[in-house]
Amino acid sequence: MNRWKKLTELLSVADLHNTTTGTHDEGGITLVNHWQRGVPVYREPVITRPLLFFAALAALGLGLALVRFLSPLGPFSGMNDAYAWGIWKTFNVMTLTALGSGALAVGVAAWVFNRQKLHVVMRTALVTGFLFYATGLLALGFDVGRAWNFWHVLLPWHWNTHSAMLEVAVCMPLYCAVFLAFENLPLLLERLYYTGGDATRATLRGAAPFLRGIYPFMITGAYVLPLMHQSSLGGLLLLGGDKIHPLWQSVLLPLLYLLAAGVAGLGFVTFLLLIACLRYARPLSLDVLGELGTVLSWVCFVFLAVRFGDLAWRRQLGAAFALDKMSVLFLFETALILVPAVVLRSRAARETPRTLLNMATLACLGGLAYRFIPTTIAFNPGRQASYFPNLPEVLMALGYIALAVVAFGLAVKYFAVLPAETAEWNYMFRRLRRGRPAAA
Amino acid sequence: MNAGITRRQALLGIVGLGGTVATAVAAPAAAVEHPAHPEAPPDAVAMLYDNTICTGCKACMPACNDANGLPPDTSLSAGLWHMPLDLNAKTKNIIKLYQEPQGPGFAFVKRQCMHCLDPACVTACPFGALEKNRWGAVTWTGSRCIGCRYCEVACPFEVPKFEWDQWNPKIVKCEFCFDQRLKQNQQPACCAVCPTGAVIFGTRVDLLAKAKERIAVTPGKYFEDRVYGEHEAGGTQVLYLSSVPFDKIGLPKLGSTSLGYYATKVTSVIYKWLSGPILVAGLLGAVIKRNWDRHEAERPDREKETGLKDQL
Repeated sequence: MNRWKKLTELLSVADLHNTTTGTHDEGGITLVNHWQRGVPVYREPVITRPLLFFAALAALGLGLALVRFLSPLGPFSGMNDAYAWGIWKTFNVMTLTALGSGALAVGVAAWVFNRQKLHVVMRTALVTGFLFYATGLLALGFDVGRAWNFWHVLLPWHWNTHSAMLEVAVCMPLYCAVFLAFENLPLLLERLYYTGGDATRATLRGAAPFLRGIYPFMITGAYVLPLMHQSSLGGLLLLGGDKIHPLWQSVLLPLLYLLAAGVAGLGFVTFLLLIACLRYARPLSLDVLGELGTVLSWVCFVFLAVRFGDLAWRRQLGAAFALDKMSVLFLFETALILVPAVVLRSRAARETPRTLLNMATLACLGGLAYRFIPTTIAFNPGRQASYFPNLPEVLMALGYIALAVVAFGLAVKYFAVLPAETAEWNYMFRRLRRGRPAAA
Repeated sequence: MNAGITRRQALLGIVGLGGTVATAVAAPAAAVEHPAHPEAPPDAVAMLYDNTICTGCKACMPACNDANGLPPDTSLSAGLWHMPLDLNAKTKNIIKLYQEPQGPGFAFVKRQCMHCLDPACVTACPFGALEKNRWGAVTWTGSRCIGCRYCEVACPFEVPKFEWDQWNPKIVKCEFCFDQRLKQNQQPACCAVCPTGAVIFGTRVDLLAKAKERIAVTPGKYFEDRVYGEHEAGGTQVLYLSSVPFDKIGLPKLGSTSLGYYATKVTSVIYKWLSGPILVAGLLGAVIKRNWDRHEAERPDREKETGLKDQL
């Protein structure tokens, strides 16, 4: 409660004084950009009470997951033969990896569409992306009933290439373990470089040209693979056929799933930057945040255009506005994306941190809603069966998320993730080096 | 200079890897297709169930459990006899009763796997644990199954069941007695044991003709004067004749297009020879390389300005 109060106070300060935009000269060129490079959070204690709380939650969830591995699936979940997929798949994987798709969305905006300002927030996107994917895959590992047969993934001649599940099973671990891990590697190497001895530094200096040499090819892979599996997650639902309500069941589900990943991913990076920078008392760069807002707004519009075009093409617009249960659900989900799309067109809104935070939150929820609803609420196997997650199932799902939260909390303190001014970096080093011989 | 060579090597590596994967993917991809309305091969076997003949004796149920080595489901009979409510992990075959809400009318229905001509479960199964076997029987191979349960989500007839109470869970579904009887030139246990001939075994061509003959002999006797399974979901190898509407006895209303066709009609084009991903990789790669080179060219300036190493 107190923390929330503090946050709203900080937001008010940010709104009122607007001290956080770059300082402009007469020509309108930014002289002071508050976000120039990633800098670790070094003034705060590493172990805090919230961190311990999330660590306990993660330990509980993972403990349950281990017990689940030694026991049948039945007692650990509310799933049944009609609703064979529970929240581990439908929420932790199919929904939450959309939040982790900031690594894809911001990356494509920065490297493909050359939105240079966004380079500085890439690290936040990459770390969250890696954590959402890693914990999602962990959830999958404990969800499948016969995980020990997964080695078939190594033998391409055992693949059923018609299966969207195969695409996800091959592509997602490959992306997370190779490409996302590679993109996050500079964080680790940078820390080693600045904390290590001369030998370490020499090795790293020698490796740098190689890493920079393969970097453009690796990030190309890092965008192609999620384009494939984020759409394939939607493709999974195509075989659900008539079980999925016609407002959602469509040949364009893969494309819409991908666009929803863009909406939720961009929204979450914006949301997280605002929350984390306010929490750690970092100045905000409304220049960069405004740029994120602009891109987010456009992706929302593209999503809505495809969504309504698809409904019109399939003659479902009437059903969409029929105001029955499913129609209301559809309108709710659409409003969550329409509001930020429209509001973020305004420059004033993009430069007000509070509005930006609210709109980013709505976009996240909208993207998540679009991805979650067809897997559960709009999924009707047509029998007298129902599904609601039971306690261990929920605790395990929360445990995976808590693990990601703990890892993020540690990552921002040990690695240069969150953006700040260059001066902040120099100041950090002066403090760290005090009483130590200066490294070369 | 060094960087140039490593880049070229990396590019070659990526192309080489892509080619290997593409070949591996393309080989099985060429083997199976998903036509919208698949044709049954001439040797496809089938079952024809006629609920105007079935007396509901349920002889087929223990016969099925016997042939498949399944334990009886006694949860509703105080441990006495096999008494399942529906298809489940101990029941691959069941006789159910439909009673009209008002009036004396009733009808039986026999449920088991429909052995679709283009089964959604087979399309769904990532490592080919479920496959369309000889004579069209849809069978399950445990060593290939990771227990993802996508088959349960995909099957429009809600047939595959999962052993939720087993540490080493199996997918349980009718396999046409493939290993147990078909391979020994014997008909499935349920058809062999049926005392009235309500369910009979034969080739799909023969049984479809026989069903249509029954309809022709007594028009109006059967619902809509048609055979369920001739076209449903692209056609199935279990055929039904019913005196009451099909949806009353739990057979869902389905289109005549196979689900496999619907689910793969776009992706089969995009992923053909991995051409879509390779094309996108080429396009993105070219743009990224250009932007990257610019970014690198500006790097010395940035590093000079701040006196710090550039961050990636």
